[in-house]
This record gives sequence, structure tokens and C-alpha cells, in this order.
Amino acid sequence: MSREFIAQHQRARIIGALALEVSEKGYRAVTVADIVRRAGIARNTFYENFSSKENCFLAAQQFAMSTALARVVEAAGESDEWPRQVEAGLGAFLGYVAEEPALARTCMVDALAAAPSSVRYYEESLQAFVSLFRLGRDVSPRGQELPETLEEALIGGVFWILYQRLLGAEPIQIGDLLPELVEFALSPYLGAEAARAVALEGEGGSPAPTSRA
Amino acid sequence: MSEPVNPSVDPREYPPELARLPPGRHGLPREFVAHNQRERLIAGLAEAVAENGYAGTTIAHITRHAAVSRRTFYEHFNSKDECFVAAYDTVMAQLRERVDKAFKAEEEWPQAARAGIAAMLEFLAAEPHLARLSMVEALVAGPVVIERYDAAIQDLVPYFEAGRKGRSAEVLAGLSPSTEEALVGGMVSLISRRIFADRTAELESLLPDLVEFALTPYLGSTAAAQVARQG
Repeated sequence: MSREFIAQHQRARIIGALALEVSEKGYRAVTVADIVRRAGIARNTFYENFSSKENCFLAAQQFAMSTALARVVEAAGESDEWPRQVEAGLGAFLGYVAEEPALARTCMVDALAAAPSSVRYYEESLQAFVSLFRLGRDVSPRGQELPETLEEALIGGVFWILYQRLLGAEPIQIGDLLPELVEFALSPYLGAEAARAVALEGEGGSPAPTSRA
Repeated sequence: MSEPVNPSVDPREYPPELARLPPGRHGLPREFVAHNQRERLIAGLAEAVAENGYAGTTIAHITRHAAVSRRTFYEHFNSKDECFVAAYDTVMAQLRERVDKAFKAEEEWPQAARAGIAAMLEFLAAEPHLARLSMVEALVAGPVVIERYDAAIQDLVPYFEAGRKGRSAEVLAGLSPSTEEALVGGMVSLISRRIFADRTAELESLLPDLVEFALTPYLGSTAAAQVARQG
């Protein structure tokens, strides 16, 4: 195994341990000792990879965000139509959140309470999703008139809903949540009826009506 | 009877608004002094946090700004976190009052919602330090505050749920159980980002966008845009 391979996996392992510890204890209570114990590594190894708890936390955020974004882009790329791209992208995002609940909690709940740097990163990473939503302006009959801050608000709303669900102890119910979020995100561009049709289609429900009001 | 104010602080250094209570024994009822001291500590915390950020604020900072003794601090609060909670609650009570008053002053819901949003933006823009305290520093001030922060945002939901009243079946079908939560979360996200970036001067210019965003699910985009642009 190459040095690089081991290093990458060590980082991932430490990040995984941090996520578990933070989601259980909250950021402030977690110590580097907690993390190294959970990861089953030596203290030295931690400091070879990260300079501090905060630094490790930021790395966890960056790892989670870049993974999530990659999955979203890949899923969206499987469709030509923007509404389906949004549906697929949101589905991929929710899937990742459901797959990695500790990491999701860490990045979306604890990040807000950790440090100014983590909040800043959280806010800025939301913006990465703005460009995906902005494409909707090209397919919307109201494209020109939509409020400038619409995408920012939609993403903020979607993330707030996920945050609320992550605060609860139960796992995310993608089946319930995805159609609601799709409808919310698409309505300003397509109107409520068309948005709902896309949301239901994604569920394998009734096909979209051929005539539009 | 009552505790003397920290005798080593020169009264000429008190900010005017905190100078009401003279130092030394003053024969005032204990409850009055306690209440006043608590208020001064809360104001002192707000000033200290504005200067140093939450993490960088010490109890010494707070007591210096409040012009009270360290002992007095501990008569009112067990910790910095606890003092912050009190400050947070005070700011939020003020904000809630303004928003609620503005909302209830309007007869029709669309105008009421607009007035409520405008009142919130006005308050935050007029008090940038309190805006930062309640929306930036609050996030790193411990789990008790975070819980209150979350609750404060969720408390906005009923103002928008009121928009469902009297709507057609078609409109209601376009809403989901989480619509108001998402709307409120989205609006707060916009506001929060600007406060984080110290761009509170821009807050009031968000009004038309926020109104259109929030009202569209209930009124449709054309009508919502009209309300948004009302002077």
C-alpha cells in the first residue's frame, strides 16, 4: 500500500471518529483524546494529520460537502430536464445524509455551534448549490422576474428542514421528505401544480399531466 | 443592606446609560438594586461580546462594562453562558414585541406578514451588535442558547401559517406540512448570512425579495410580487 493511500484512509478514519464523537457529545465537549480513542490511533497520528480539533472539524466539513456535491452533480447529470435534475440531486443529497447520519449531524447541526470558521464554511458551502438551482431560471416562464435571492432562500429553507429532522433522534425518512422538498424547490420556477407532478413522479406516482393550467 | 458597586471603578468611566446607580451604599431596596445590576450585566455582556466575540469575552470584561463587582456577577449568574442566555432572551423579547406589534397593526394577512418582516429587518439593521449577538454569537454560546435560537425561528411559523386561512383548495394542495418551516428557514438564512458578513446595512433592502418569497405559496407569484413592492 502506498504512503498516500494509508494517509488518505487515516484522515478518513479520524474524520469518521470525530463525527461520531461530536454527534454524541457536541463539539465543545469533545477532546482530541476522545477522537484518538474512537479512531484507535496514537495521539501523534492525529497531530500528523491535523493541527487541532477545530482544524479536524473543518476537514470533516470539507470532506462531507465535497462528497455530497459530487453525488448531487452525478445524480443530476443523469437527466436532461432541469426539474428531474433537481429531483435526482436532492434525492442524492438526502441519500447521503441518511447514509452518514453522524457526519450529517456534525456538518449541519454541530457546525453551527462549533466555531466561527465552521459556520462561515457552512454558509459558503450552501452557495455551491445555488448554481444548480439557478439553471431553473432558464426553464421558468417567470425566469426574468424571480427575486435575485431566491436560490439562496430555497437552499436555506431546504437545509433548515434537514437540520430540524437531524435534531430529532429518528433517522431521516427520505420517502416522506424528498417529495416535499422537491415541491418546495421547484414551485417558484414551475408553479405549484407542475412542481407537485415532478415530486410525485419521482416517487413512481402518477405521471405528469399533459395539459398545464 | 445593598452591595456597593465595585469601588475600584472610577464613576467617570461609566457609560452614561449605566451611570444611573451611584457607587457605594445607597439605601435602595435590594430588589431594585438587584434588578438594575442584572440589567447592567446584560448590557455589559452585550458590549463585551461586541468587542471580543463570545469566546474571547471574560467575566472581567463583562463586569468592567457593567461597572459592577465580580461578586455581584456571581450573585446573578453562575457562568458566562448563563449571562448570555439572559442577554439573548432580553434581545429576543424586544424583537418579538416589535414584530408582533407590526404584524397585528395590519388587517389583511399579506400586509401583516410584510409589516412583520419589515419590523424584524429594521430592528436588526438598527442594532447591528444585537443582531450579531442573537444570530452569530448565539450559535457558539452553548446548548441552552442554541435551543432557544431554534425555538425563536420556529416561533415565526404561525405568522405564515395564518396565510393558509381562506385559501382555495388548489392553493392548499400546493402546500405541505413543512412549507412554513422551509420559508422561515430560508428567510433567516438570508438574514443570517448578511449579519455574519457584517452587512447589516443591506438587511432592509432584502424586504421585497423576502416578502415575495414568503407570500408566493399563498397568493401566487404575481400578487406576492405586488405586495412585495408596496411602499
